[in-house]
Amino acid sequence: MRNMQLLKTVLIAIAGAAFLAGCKAGGDYPGLEYAANMYHSVAYEPLTQITDESAGTWVNSLNNGRGEYFNSNKYNPNRMNMRAPAPYTVKRNRNGWLPYRIGKDSLEYASTIKNPLDSTAAIIADGKALYTIFCNQCHGPKGEGDGKVGTGVSIGGVDKKFVGGVANLHGDAYLNMTEGHIFHVITWGRNLMLPHGSQIEPEDRWKIAKYVKTLQKK
Amino acid sequence: MTHQISGLFKNLITALFIVLSLTSFSQDISSDAGVITQGETLFNSNCKACHRVDQKLIGPALAGIEDRAPSIDWIKEFVRNSSKLIASGDEYANKVYEESGKILMTSFTSLSDDQIMSILAYVKAEAEKPEEVATVADGGGTGSGDGVPPTYLNAILVGMIVILVLLLVILGLIISSLKRYLDQKDLTEEDREVVHSPFTFSSIVQSTGFIFIVVFLVASISFKTVIDGLYTIGVQQGYAPKQPIAFSHKVHAGEYEIDCQYCHTGAIKGRSANIPSPNICMNCHTQIRSGTNTGETEIAKIVSAIETNRPIEWVRVHNLPDLAYFNHSQHVNVGGIECQTCHGPIEEMDVVKQYSLLTMGWCIDCHRTTDLNTKGNEYYDNLLELHNNNAMKVEDIGGLECAKCHY
Repeated sequence: MRNMQLLKTVLIAIAGAAFLAGCKAGGDYPGLEYAANMYHSVAYEPLTQITDESAGTWVNSLNNGRGEYFNSNKYNPNRMNMRAPAPYTVKRNRNGWLPYRIGKDSLEYASTIKNPLDSTAAIIADGKALYTIFCNQCHGPKGEGDGKVGTGVSIGGVDKKFVGGVANLHGDAYLNMTEGHIFHVITWGRNLMLPHGSQIEPEDRWKIAKYVKTLQKK
Repeated sequence: MTHQISGLFKNLITALFIVLSLTSFSQDISSDAGVITQGETLFNSNCKACHRVDQKLIGPALAGIEDRAPSIDWIKEFVRNSSKLIASGDEYANKVYEESGKILMTSFTSLSDDQIMSILAYVKAEAEKPEEVATVADGGGTGSGDGVPPTYLNAILVGMIVILVLLLVILGLIISSLKRYLDQKDLTEEDREVVHSPFTFSSIVQSTGFIFIVVFLVASISFKTVIDGLYTIGVQQGYAPKQPIAFSHKVHAGEYEIDCQYCHTGAIKGRSANIPSPNICMNCHTQIRSGTNTGETEIAKIVSAIETNRPIEWVRVHNLPDLAYFNHSQHVNVGGIECQTCHGPIEEMDVVKQYSLLTMGWCIDCHRTTDLNTKGNEYYDNLLELHNNNAMKVEDIGGLECAKCHY
């Protein structure tokens, strides 16, 4: 009799442990949440979106039958929380610069534009850091067009694919580019290089242009 | 008079020689080793980005160009100013332009006749080289697939366990049949005791000592599991959801060494590191249309997202609770912390998982132990003096204030 009771206790303990072990996150399961209604933002949040209107009904204390977690905008395309800014929206920046409005075809005119930044050591250092982030993988650390994306890598005897047409910035055709030219090409892309204007802010593009000219002298 | 004639004759000969050498230069491609090496250097620094000798890359394969092109002079003109030649309506130039997907070749105005000829010499020498490189590469490729795959190892292990269990069963059967055989014989008291041991299986199991040990072990293991389990509630460490596109950080950040911030542009600028929009993917994937791991299916999803203008609904991996505020730029830009400090070896992950705990204790630990970098920042000069110029930790400037993260 005593043994039976012990056995029961043991079984309950095992079941409890197994249940709690199921709380652990892994794979597609994010794990059990504690105080779930403090975890999910009711307001719209960037880069997170719960589109299921009934999600979290069980934690809703308002008794209105709505899910507590739902935080998408039903009236936007694809229920997105944010919409693309209206056309011709001007982004404010600390320099008070107006948007760059020179079209892709006007490379010749763009080449005549002067870099608004000075060639200070700090700006060139910034340019180097930005070059390392945005240009290195194709143009290579020295600008020789030998970045890993530009030349391909070989992993375990398998040659990985690469992007062709990466300019060697020390090539004769590129040595005489002006900083305005470089800025324009980063913004709009040229030949096989695609526009990077959406990734790099204008001030950063001028910094990179400054650094590329320094790099070419080496 | 004779002097003059001989002078004239000399001039004539030099003129003839110059003309001859010029024509020979414009017609014949040198096979001189020196010229070829010079050509190789020029080819690598100017042409290699878009051209290969034996395969089409951006521009056509260059092997046999000297026979294909209308003339050597045409090649020189095209190299120096391809757009002018195309605009002039030259038939072959326009054909090449169309075949290369209307991508203009960069003009190399500064290449001299000699330099272009040496590049041609290199191309010709390369094209005529016997193909031995390919076979060597093939041999290297098959060698790398050695070793037993883990699935086979598991199968072998399971097979061995099955064999062991079978052996136990067989041994048990042998013991019981031996016992039965011995029981039929007349045995002395001593022998009988050996055959029928007083410590049978059931007598051991029913003893209090045994029950106590088992209950103690089970109870303590369960207790530990319960406590461990309770600690995982609200902690999503290890969460590795399947994404709509099988994007591999291992390939992009690991093998190609693309900087994290090339795609996650927000990490130095703002609160969120940002998920790249498909146009950033297309910077490379306009050209690379089939991946080494997944073939064409996954990359095609990016293209279709752009064509249909539908956002890719990535599954968020790091879900910081709404009650805590976190800002990437404060840590990446101001603090200079590597992405890997919190996100772990992302460059080795095919599927991203939450590496760190992301609990409050985890944040606080780091704020207590991390030194503040005050170098070159005058703002901290007075504060440093107050701290007797000892290195300050993040907690010394409010890294433990509740309202820094909870508000």
